[in-house]
Amino acid sequence: MQEPHIVVSWPSVPVEIVRATGFRTVLARGALGPTPGADAHLEPGIFPSRLRRLVEDALTGRLALAARIVVPRTSEADYKCFLYLREFVRKDVATALAPIVLFDLLQSHGPDVPAYDVARVRALLDDLSSASGRIPSADDLRRELTRANTARAAARRLVALRCPVPRVAGAEVLPLLAAFWEMDPDRYAEMVSDAATRIAARPPLAGPRVLLTGAPVDGHTLHESIESHGAVVVDEVGPWGSGAAGEDVRIDDDPVAALADKYRADSIGARTPVGALRRLTQSRLDEVDAVVVSLPPDDAVFGWDYPALRDVLNARRIPHVCLRCDPYERPTSADHAALDAMVSAASQLQEARHG
Amino acid sequence: MADSQLEATVAASAFQKQWFADLRRRVFDDRQPYALLQADVPFELFDLVDIPAVSNQWWAAIVAAKRQAPKFLDAMDADGLHGDLCRYCSLGYASTRYPDAGDSPWGGLPTPRLLCARLTCDCIHRVFSLWAATFGAELFEIDHPGAGDLPPRWWELGRHNWRELVEPHRLAFVVATLERLVERLEAISGRAFDRRALRQRLELVNQQEEVFDAVRRLIAAAPECPVRMTEQITNVMATQWVRGSEWALAHARAFHDEVKRRVDDGVAACPGERARLMWIGAGLWHDTAFYTAFEASHRAVFVWSMYLAFGPDGYIRYGLEDPMAALASRTASFNEYLHNPPWAAAWIVHQAREHRIDGALVLRPRSMKPGATGRLFIERALEDAGIPVLPIDADVVDARGWDADGARASVRAFLDTRVF
Repeated sequence: MQEPHIVVSWPSVPVEIVRATGFRTVLARGALGPTPGADAHLEPGIFPSRLRRLVEDALTGRLALAARIVVPRTSEADYKCFLYLREFVRKDVATALAPIVLFDLLQSHGPDVPAYDVARVRALLDDLSSASGRIPSADDLRRELTRANTARAAARRLVALRCPVPRVAGAEVLPLLAAFWEMDPDRYAEMVSDAATRIAARPPLAGPRVLLTGAPVDGHTLHESIESHGAVVVDEVGPWGSGAAGEDVRIDDDPVAALADKYRADSIGARTPVGALRRLTQSRLDEVDAVVVSLPPDDAVFGWDYPALRDVLNARRIPHVCLRCDPYERPTSADHAALDAMVSAASQLQEARHG
Repeated sequence: MADSQLEATVAASAFQKQWFADLRRRVFDDRQPYALLQADVPFELFDLVDIPAVSNQWWAAIVAAKRQAPKFLDAMDADGLHGDLCRYCSLGYASTRYPDAGDSPWGGLPTPRLLCARLTCDCIHRVFSLWAATFGAELFEIDHPGAGDLPPRWWELGRHNWRELVEPHRLAFVVATLERLVERLEAISGRAFDRRALRQRLELVNQQEEVFDAVRRLIAAAPECPVRMTEQITNVMATQWVRGSEWALAHARAFHDEVKRRVDDGVAACPGERARLMWIGAGLWHDTAFYTAFEASHRAVFVWSMYLAFGPDGYIRYGLEDPMAALASRTASFNEYLHNPPWAAAWIVHQAREHRIDGALVLRPRSMKPGATGRLFIERALEDAGIPVLPIDADVVDARGWDADGARASVRAFLDTRVF
């Protein structure tokens, strides 16, 4: 029998709430392949692959067993996807579909935002509790926070093996880190701790260390492409790789408020305030040799940050490449040539630095 | 035939130009503050503390109409801002960031004291942060909580039952944010905000929109459209930015009276009208001649755009005991009404029927990504209602990729094959 689960469109829905109410999170992910059902309703060039796939699955009955489809307010495309899904139900376009829930977590800096977010996390808790019939106490929630924090600590041990001395390729480690969102935290901690022990015994990897930034990627295709040039992707700005676990959630009298604060501050997506994202990106530059900026065709947001980032990288003499390709497809030959040139330049700088 | 413009249209254009000249004088000579706002911000709050406000979208439309947009947008491209980023909401920023690239109309935007935007599309936070940094000015953001409850036929609820349109938690959040905005405006202006004046202002806004409602009914019912869509837009836009002011109400009435005279006298924008068209989406500001290009050849007239129609349905709020809540209820779901299911399609089909529309042209914006959502739902709803649809690929301010001849040819073919 399939484990009770909810489908989530972006990793900014508290896994602690999901687990405490008896569910498992299943995340929408992008992939290559046709989405004919979704294409009839979703305008081209606007919705990323993961949302097109989510809608395709919704329209073809593949989400019928989910208890809820939770769409967080992490991007305008997600919000519009929520409105579309609700319309499919209203119009009987999608018949076997779980109730669709908007998780309206805001991320701006207004003084009224934190209280609003606490109320939204509480509303999510209430809704999922009603779906499962399991109403967690504050102690139950704190127990889930503790379990998730243990998983976070394990993930951080793995992250430490990527940088400053990389012992694992980005394409290999990204799925391990991303599994934080979907796995039982105890099993995740065990799996990742085992992996960290094995990886720690490996020799360091040669090649320039690359930070992948821009629009977050949820798969490792782009990592493989970058690493095929002899570089190592050691970090990503996004919720899937090194940013998946993040810092611990504080454990205090009000676990709901703690979760609201954590996910507002740490969720990385299109509505993460630009200042926070800039600080996050720049804090990673000390320990990388090159930067790849991914701005896929559906990008409407991260491209705005590019000129400022480019100026910083130029000032610090860090080679970089800006890729406009779909991260699920292989880069073009021109992209490969640009990656090759970036890796060469970074290698020369590496050699110069190390004599 | 209505070859000449309405007197109201000439007056509206002159008012806007003079208003902007006064603004520049006020800012440069008198060192008074002004604000730069997204179009969906409640302008009334600024006016009530005597801080004039310029609409970003209005300014972008002026820059595009003066054919300066390509120069500023080329400068954006050269700076590494890729071509899929929204150009409509960022053209004003480009005119500030790259001042030497083109000639900003009427001397350009002076430095505002404050910028203010609702965080609807994800790019707005980015664009306004960059713009505020370029000016060295303060930015106030109004976050945009998403709507979870979606009552149908919003245009019937909005006037009297507006509390039912917006969930209580969203309404409370927007009210709280607007209260913070008022605190900032009081600090900037040095003037106390008068809540009785807000209620009076909203009552005047209601009156103004009631006048536009009457104009809309005149246009819908007249045997032939009495006033071109472009003139409707000019008159509505000039008043909307200063809505509820003495001038705005007087101008709306003058516009109404002139349209009514035309209806009474049987004057048509295009005598012998054969097809009534609607334009769905933001205006094609760099090529407004497009909207009259099918009158001579096909007697096809653009009758409807959202600009006149949305005022009465989107702005009127009766029951103003709590004027800030009424204002917040209008602000909270502004964009969803215009673009997204279930609201936009149902409203547009309703409007199409009221206006006896024969064909609809639906903008497919090239770069306004979330702003371009909902289009397929609207197109399908119109077709299901028996109204043929022609999608038009265009950017509303960026003329660089616009095939004016090709677009006109496709409309002519659409009229020949689907409308007639």
